[in-house]
Amino acid sequence: MKTLGVIAGREMRLALRNRSILITAAIFAIWFPVMSAFGVVAGAGGDAATIAGGIAAITIPVGIFMGYIFCADAFLREKRDGTIETLLCTPVSLRRLWEGKAIGVAVPAYVMTLISATVTIAAISTIAGITVVTEPLLLLHLATIVPVWIVASAGLIGAAQLALGMRENQILGFLLIFGFIFIIIGLQEVAPGGPGISPVTEGILAVAGIALVAFARFTAGRVTRERIVLTIP
Amino acid sequence: MNAVEVRGLSRSFDGREILNGVSFTVGHGEVFGYLGPNGAGKTTTIRILLGLLKPGAGEVQVLGRDLATDDDARAKVGVLFENNGLSDRMSATANLAYYAGLYSMDEPAERIDDLLALVGLADRRDDLVGTYSTGMKRRLGIARAILHRPEIVFLDEPSSGLDPGAQRMVRDLIVELSRREEMTVFLNSHHLDEVQRICSSVAILAGGRIRAFDSVANLTGARDRPAVTVTLADPDDRAGASGVIETLPFVAGCEPDGRGLHCTLSDPGATPDLITALVGAGFRIEEVRRSSRSLEEIYIEHVGSAGGGA
Repeated sequence: MKTLGVIAGREMRLALRNRSILITAAIFAIWFPVMSAFGVVAGAGGDAATIAGGIAAITIPVGIFMGYIFCADAFLREKRDGTIETLLCTPVSLRRLWEGKAIGVAVPAYVMTLISATVTIAAISTIAGITVVTEPLLLLHLATIVPVWIVASAGLIGAAQLALGMRENQILGFLLIFGFIFIIIGLQEVAPGGPGISPVTEGILAVAGIALVAFARFTAGRVTRERIVLTIP
Repeated sequence: MNAVEVRGLSRSFDGREILNGVSFTVGHGEVFGYLGPNGAGKTTTIRILLGLLKPGAGEVQVLGRDLATDDDARAKVGVLFENNGLSDRMSATANLAYYAGLYSMDEPAERIDDLLALVGLADRRDDLVGTYSTGMKRRLGIARAILHRPEIVFLDEPSSGLDPGAQRMVRDLIVELSRREEMTVFLNSHHLDEVQRICSSVAILAGGRIRAFDSVANLTGARDRPAVTVTLADPDDRAGASGVIETLPFVAGCEPDGRGLHCTLSDPGATPDLITALVGAGFRIEEVRRSSRSLEEIYIEHVGSAGGGA
């Protein structure tokens, strides 16, 4: 477990030192919720629960995109410059390396997503004059569902970036992001009561998120050292 | 048990044979040079030894273990690839501390201080590695590779991309580390001069096969094929001197060489007898120099001047 903390801690420190990635993440964290706030208010009218559902629907895609941004620094950069080859020669198992990096990506991505959610709530409160911050399901959503989905997406994107060549990664990165967003929208549509926030919707998202974390672990377990080394540019 | 054992190693990529029945061993404490032209399969061999690639056929063992499946065994191995394995956005100290964490080292601060002093980077320890020169990064990379006191260290082209001064510094560092840390060094290089200076044994790889594998002394003829170059005061005496030399029982061959004669001896201790015979025959000798073939000559003989890549 000690090495897990060493790897995750290093990725977090490096993320905080990468000015270009932080600026990209900050712009997205502010621009996207502000632009979405008008649509959420217009669609929900004055109903606080429906507005909370709109905010919940925004936060997971934001979190996934944040994970994608930070994955580029943690997984892809080390593959591009070849550092990953040295890391694979340490006594750390490939799974532990992947886990540490995924956590190191997920934590800053989650922090940026919470900042984004705060901006969204502030923007909607300003536009609609409604306070939604005290909605318990929204708080539960931000505290549990969002981090699970960020971990799942960061893990899957990271595993793909380790296993694939540079060109395939450019294509697959976007496919994964849109795939995740498609799954979220699909789950919310099939949930009883339709889009919005409800205990059933949150339950479905929680189960799906945990299943995706398990799938990410399974996928990462299939990646081999040879596969990674042979796809280093 | 040898530090490295390779038996019948073969490997292909997309139907192209890179290694074909490669076999060699490296003893404990040796500085071993693995030579070959670009594309010969040197890095592929190292990657297979380190467990990063699977062998197509054959067996490899490092310290008696298979690094592909044995995570703990990798703690006894150090490695330096061309990129040094460092983050430009971290200081030298932070980079080494990170690897100390990966190797679960307890209290690594003193070791880090020692190594930074050894590689001459103590005064730049807190600077970001991105501000370092290529030579400084390579020195820090070497410190990183031996941080956890490995029993064997693999150095893949450690002098590549360095200016002559930095190459010499790295070469001296490898010799110093081998002596001080008592570790086996597996040096993958095509700098023949570097290998001849610091390695005790070498293997030459070309076309996917080992073309030569022996100690440097044996390969260059310093031990088994002793030779001397005799420079005569009067170059016109060469023909006469050659006639005298060829009658001597301990001389295997004699050829003109510049102002003198290059004589291959069958008896390593016969140089004084050769001098006595020439002086006794009335020839005036200006210089007698023990000569041996350079590793470059051996390399060209086995690989070919065009490189002979696989």
